[in-house]
Amino acid sequence: MKREILLLLLFCTFFAGCEKDDFCVKNPVTSKLIIDFYDDTNRETLKKVQAFSAIAVGKTDSLFTNQSVNSISIPLNSLSSETIYTFKKNTTGGATADNTIATFSIEYDTEEAFVSRSCGFKVIFKNVAFSAAENSWITAFTPTTIINLDDQSAAHVQIFH
Amino acid sequence: MFKYFISFCFIFLAAKSFCQETQQDKVPEKKTDTIVYKTNYGLRLGIDISRPIKAAVSSSYTGLEITGDYRIRKNVYIATELGYEKETSVEDYSNSTSKGNFIRVGLNYNAYKNWLDMNNEVFIGFRYGFSVFDQTLNNYTPNVSDAESGNYFPATLKTTSKAATSLNAHWSELMIGIKAETFKNIFIGFSVSYKILMSAKNPEDFQVLFAPGFNRIFESKTGFGLNYTISYLIPFSKK
Repeated sequence: MKREILLLLLFCTFFAGCEKDDFCVKNPVTSKLIIDFYDDTNRETLKKVQAFSAIAVGKTDSLFTNQSVNSISIPLNSLSSETIYTFKKNTTGGATADNTIATFSIEYDTEEAFVSRSCGFKVIFKNVAFSAAENSWITAFTPTTIINLDDQSAAHVQIFH
Repeated sequence: MFKYFISFCFIFLAAKSFCQETQQDKVPEKKTDTIVYKTNYGLRLGIDISRPIKAAVSSSYTGLEITGDYRIRKNVYIATELGYEKETSVEDYSNSTSKGNFIRVGLNYNAYKNWLDMNNEVFIGFRYGFSVFDQTLNNYTPNVSDAESGNYFPATLKTTSKAATSLNAHWSELMIGIKAETFKNIFIGFSVSYKILMSAKNPEDFQVLFAPGFNRIFESKTGFGLNYTISYLIPFSKK
């Protein structure tokens, strides 16, 4: 009897140890907005943005700091229906006075969908509309709207500069 | 010390001896055994005591399971379990509670050859399981963080609970266990089972994470179970 109770306790701990088995391997769970930067004069080729930084309005920390990138992925605010980013670039030297900025805003509706036990719920952004401030280093972008932002296989927007 | 050393040597001393006499050429007379050891046949009812223990240890669980089996052949039993379970699944991004009733029906085959009139079992069993339950999503946080930009726009905990009623699950179960007659007609049994989910009716925009009777549903639609039962045999006949 005593041995059986011990055996039972052993099995209980064995099964309690099995609790956290599945880990979320999906990254990211909620899709991010992927932007590719293209050359404005030669619209087929990617062009790097020099000393690029991105910061959302109302945030104090930037996502990229003085990196030269031709493709970025940025998160959208699921608690709001609009996310406004300020993109900074610096093609000459790097002095603060030479910084040029562009405002890029994204408007959308949000919807939640269940993924799995370990990953939880993701946010799907629907009816996404893009807009950029006039007279900035962003000369054009395409497309202006997308219906559903829910995958990470290709870039969502192309920005020309 | 030397005294012991010498006596220690005797341990390794082996004496060659014969314990049995050399076999005689005469063939011994064969006697047929006329005694038939009878065992009880009847309905055995029990309770799973691992569930109250689990409920006492874990605050997120309550459950009860009653077991029953009926011996139809020398080695074959029709077995069933029915019960109630309630469990709160606390995950990284969600918290949900499942509660409901379940039944499992199947057969046990006793693979143990009993000595004399003993009535112990080492059995393998098969079950079909079915449960009807409700699942409530108590709260959740949308998973918006990622490896590159961290939790740049943190999501808030959503506390509006969503209840889904009359969900169901069907599964098949393979089990292996032991039963020992500790006192007359009183048995203590222990078994583990491996379950494969056949189908589950999931709530809208969510998933069944725990089905009563099935236990936690793993990503691969499988599960494990554990039973520790005390049962009493109501003898109907001796065969």
